[in-house]
Amino acid sequence: MSDHSVLTTLKILIIGESGVGKSSLLLRFTDDTFDPEQTATIGVDFKVKTLTVDGNGAKLAIWDTAGQERFRTLTPSYYRGAQGVILVYDVTSRQSFSKLDAWLNELETFSTKHEVIKMLVGNKIDMDKREVSKEDGLRFARKHQMLFIEASAKTKEGVQCAFEELVEKIIQTPGLWETEKQGGMTLMGSRGTSQGYCGGYCVI
Amino acid sequence: METIINDVVDPRDIKKFELIYLDQQRHGPVSEKTQFEYAWCLVRSRYLDDMKKGVALLEDLFHKSRPDDSSRRDYLFYLAIGYTKTKEYETALKYVKALLKIEPENHQAKELKKLINDKLNKEGFLGMAIVGGATIAVVGGLVGLGIALAKKSS
Repeated sequence: MSDHSVLTTLKILIIGESGVGKSSLLLRFTDDTFDPEQTATIGVDFKVKTLTVDGNGAKLAIWDTAGQERFRTLTPSYYRGAQGVILVYDVTSRQSFSKLDAWLNELETFSTKHEVIKMLVGNKIDMDKREVSKEDGLRFARKHQMLFIEASAKTKEGVQCAFEELVEKIIQTPGLWETEKQGGMTLMGSRGTSQGYCGGYCVI
Repeated sequence: METIINDVVDPRDIKKFELIYLDQQRHGPVSEKTQFEYAWCLVRSRYLDDMKKGVALLEDLFHKSRPDDSSRRDYLFYLAIGYTKTKEYETALKYVKALLKIEPENHQAKELKKLINDKLNKEGFLGMAIVGGATIAVVGGLVGLGIALAKKSS
């Protein structure tokens, strides 16, 4: 994609408990790789990817935060200015699901944009021993006005969709990104509806 | 990784964690957690003095930690980041290599190592160019002198 077709740069944040697969989802999305031995993130990691949604190019600046407890007081500084947040849990870990409320509280406290779009991702659906049903995930997302999708960083399922749906929703919420647009470009071809186009569940 | 190196901390964060650090210092020993949090802010400051202070705090934490301490990787990573920011690339490389000994497949560490090596090569090349330039000037001077002498003797 040529640079002039990039509509805007969007700040995306990935949060959730340690070991749920935040970095694995990101590396699948940006590099199309998967490392079963993925090491725990130190502090924060950063990746850039350009994505086209509805004919609009968006440059995603993605901040992947460490889930480990020792970074819990440090990472919220990265919440500032984020337009989209991906909150991840592990469908084989009830504990990671029950911590979602705490993560949302954290987000509420430190996020500077009130309209920030939230996507809930239930990761590791390739694995046996599921402890969180799809219905539970969907119910939680609906209750908290979040987008929702189940995914597997290992098999790729749902990964691209998670990011695309999130970006589509951000672009449909002009107050979130309008101030950042450059060169007087205008948004074209907005569909105006939030119907997911790749099988994700849109619950906003 | 360049973005992580150039990432600058919000001054309010330095202030916040500095207050906690100073408060603990007044009332007894500073906890490892507080020292790490303060150091993490300092190495991401835009000011060289802060970076150096942060690096010193991290080195202190590292030397006090046990060899099997899981937080060692975090100290090593931010030491390498800190020394990259202060442009002490040889030391930065030493720390990132130490981290890769603990976690050979850590992609953050691999990316950081590559970035440090790139900077080393670039600045090494620049250094050579400067030395090269000086050589030309000296040779030029000698040639000039030679011409002058030749003119004088003719």
